[in-house]
Amino acid sequence: MIKVDKLTKTYTTYERGGTFREALKSLVVRKKKMVEALKEVSFEIGEGELIGFLGPNGAGKSTTLKILTGILYPTSGAVEIMGYVPWKDRKKYVANIGAVFGQKSQLLFDIPPMDSFLLNQSIYNIPEQAFRKTMNEMVEMLDLEKIVRKPTRQLSLGERMKCEFIMAMLHRPKIVFLDEPTIGLDVIAKGKIRDFIHEQNKNGTTFILTTHDLEDVEQLAKRVIVVNHGEIVFDNSMDHLRKHLGDKKSVHVTTRNPLPSLAQPGILIRKQHSNRDVELELDLSKLKLNEFIKEMNEKSIINDMSIESLEIENIIKDLYSQE
Amino acid sequence: MSRNLSLPSPEKQQAYRSTFLQWFKIYIHGMKTAFASRMAYRGDFFMSMFIMMVVELFGPLITLLIYHNGASFPGWERHEVLLLQGVFLLSRGIAFPFFMGMVWNTISRVQEGTYDLLLIKPRSILQMSIVTAFDSEDLGKLIGGILMFAYAMKSVPTPPFTNWVSFLLLFIFSLLSMFAFGLFMSGLGIVWIGNYRIYEIFMSVMDFGLYPRSIFNKLFQTIITWVIPISLLGSFPASALLGKEISGVLGAMLCAIGFLIFGLWFYHRMVRNYTSAGG
Amino acid sequence: MQALIERQQTKKAPPLFKAVIQSTYKENFAFRSSMAVSLIVQPIYFLVNYFIWQAVFQVNDTVSGFTLKTMLYYFAVSSLLGFLNWDNADGSLQWLVQTGRFITYQLRPVHYLYYSFFQKVGHRILAFWVEILPIIGFYLLFKIYPIPVMPIWALVSVSLSFVLSFLINYIIGTIAFWLVKTDGLRRAIMVIKDVCSGIFLPLTLFPSIIQKFLFILPFQFISYVPARVFMGSYELAGIKLSIPQIVGLQALMVVVTFFLNRLVWHLGIKRFTGVGA
Repeated sequence: MIKVDKLTKTYTTYERGGTFREALKSLVVRKKKMVEALKEVSFEIGEGELIGFLGPNGAGKSTTLKILTGILYPTSGAVEIMGYVPWKDRKKYVANIGAVFGQKSQLLFDIPPMDSFLLNQSIYNIPEQAFRKTMNEMVEMLDLEKIVRKPTRQLSLGERMKCEFIMAMLHRPKIVFLDEPTIGLDVIAKGKIRDFIHEQNKNGTTFILTTHDLEDVEQLAKRVIVVNHGEIVFDNSMDHLRKHLGDKKSVHVTTRNPLPSLAQPGILIRKQHSNRDVELELDLSKLKLNEFIKEMNEKSIINDMSIESLEIENIIKDLYSQE
Repeated sequence: MSRNLSLPSPEKQQAYRSTFLQWFKIYIHGMKTAFASRMAYRGDFFMSMFIMMVVELFGPLITLLIYHNGASFPGWERHEVLLLQGVFLLSRGIAFPFFMGMVWNTISRVQEGTYDLLLIKPRSILQMSIVTAFDSEDLGKLIGGILMFAYAMKSVPTPPFTNWVSFLLLFIFSLLSMFAFGLFMSGLGIVWIGNYRIYEIFMSVMDFGLYPRSIFNKLFQTIITWVIPISLLGSFPASALLGKEISGVLGAMLCAIGFLIFGLWFYHRMVRNYTSAGG
Repeated sequence: MQALIERQQTKKAPPLFKAVIQSTYKENFAFRSSMAVSLIVQPIYFLVNYFIWQAVFQVNDTVSGFTLKTMLYYFAVSSLLGFLNWDNADGSLQWLVQTGRFITYQLRPVHYLYYSFFQKVGHRILAFWVEILPIIGFYLLFKIYPIPVMPIWALVSVSLSFVLSFLINYIIGTIAFWLVKTDGLRRAIMVIKDVCSGIFLPLTLFPSIIQKFLFILPFQFISYVPARVFMGSYELAGIKLSIPQIVGLQALMVVVTFFLNRLVWHLGIKRFTGVGA
């Protein structure tokens, strides 16, 4: 459905000095600076996928997103989405996609969301019957019956974001791009929106999700692409991502007697709260879990213990910090 | 997958899109939404509209004071100058609410980063910029223009039918020139990020159009007729209505068409610039 | 190390007004290209006016006592005063009140009025070399030399107009204490202020009844009065005053406006805290 081949984007910026002298100088000679936002990025996405698209700030995430939505021209490389080249057939192409930006509202602030929906109906030229059907379905799914006729400015952030989803999906797009869709929302609103995305994905809509909220990714994405410094550093399933740093566990243990020496292969101390209380990372390939427990219990007597898979946060941190 | 059935086929959509009717429908819808939005602050809306009107009526202030003090523009009666300014304000009164809002819309959207939201809609960026920019309070300008025009017409002997015809034709060119101005300003707004003063440049240049062309020297007369079609904004249509002798109308009309084409080219060039930049 | 910190602590902090001026200057430095738009706009307005008056004076030798030369001189001086006196005190105050941010200023030991005034100073220092100097240069091309007849009096009058315009704009900004959305009203007052201050035209061109009215309003002291002080003679509504007299009146108006400013502010704050917003 989406084919991206050796996508490259470079642009030039001009450095401008802050002092008066530098400013005068910049009028005559401007220092050019080439920025390589994307370096030969390639990937493919199939129909019905739900992809988490991650990367630290300035990694090339939003540049990719802008190219895929037809907003930006690349420097080189090829993109084909549903048979269209986004930036070439922009108008025809974007009729088939939707986008939700957590930080940029598509709703008009002073009027009810309903009126914004109607405006979108004419812009996308959606037949009345289909429009009503889609809207009623979504409004019901998101519990918005009483909300859509109130002015947007009176809505809570969560209610507003739900309406943004309807706004972006009224024309039944086959692909929906989500950029930070749950930013600033409370737990309940987040959950509701995640359910909605799941539901729509089940019905066949492809989602590409960019976010800094790793919980979104963990709960939604089946596959994850991570970009850093304009290149793809990871592209595989969620399960693979979890095992990316090897088979490791995160352990929190408190003991009755002081802890033994933990300086041994396979143990990485994260936080030592006291000599009877420690958080650590266990590499199971070097130290088996049962051996670790046995040793701890024999030497110090375990009071309490929790064992969890490594938080995805640590894996992502590791991917982001790679040069 | 019943949901696909309700979508019109791409060909059909294409056919819809190309019709002028469709364009008009979206425009009307945009207008209605803009009105509804503005009605959220009714008091401020009527106040702003009233002020817009009054501000427009200050346009002829200098002229009125000149004639009040017994002075005059050579070759022009007081009511003739007022008619010229009425025509000019009428043209501006139509341009500002109905399409000139695209300038402000473009500048602020590029600055806030919401210009992208227009680019992900299946319509041309120019259409989207106009549709989302209907400026209802500028209707005050239109009322001001109508009042001025009507007031000036009272002192003018009824013009023959042919004068009206040539006036209407030239008035359409006045609007076309306004539109071209809008294109240039919007284009500038895309690259000159966050500079709302672009409007001021435009307003100052238009000031040349508020007075009879004959008061300017030869060089400026040439510029405002042959380079930038400012004479067409008020001076030429008013002269046609008054039956005054004018020279260079055809040239000015050609200039206006050229100016419009150049404006379209410039606008799309700047949009292209935006879509190939980065960051 | 300890000694260094102590030395830094004992070193006197720069006076606040200086810090405000400097930070405003630096903040706005980045927007100087926007400010420089005036260098296109003002010459265009001047040219239009130049042609208007040239045409008018082809038929008439004088209009209301002005010749072509003095009319252009008046236009040039009043436009320069416009640039010198410009400020956004009303807009800033309105924004602070509407967003509730003005509370943070209430918690500071220095009054916002003081703060805002020195912001204007910093901003206008930047404007001086970005806008005013180049425009003076442009006027020189037309052999218009904006040199006052009585330099000392002109300096006093210009300084007073600088303060007065600030105080008036500040009062306009306080409307935000009473109204939610004030953009329209502010624009209206600004237009009236500009017309009545004589920034476009000498006020003696108005019909005599209106001149009497204009004489009572404080606006003439913003632009018309200092421009006339530059020219060395004052007249409005048939009243002729000597330069010291009119500048004295201007000073009086500054004092009155200051107290009016404080009064309105006081009422506004009372309303603000009374409502409990």
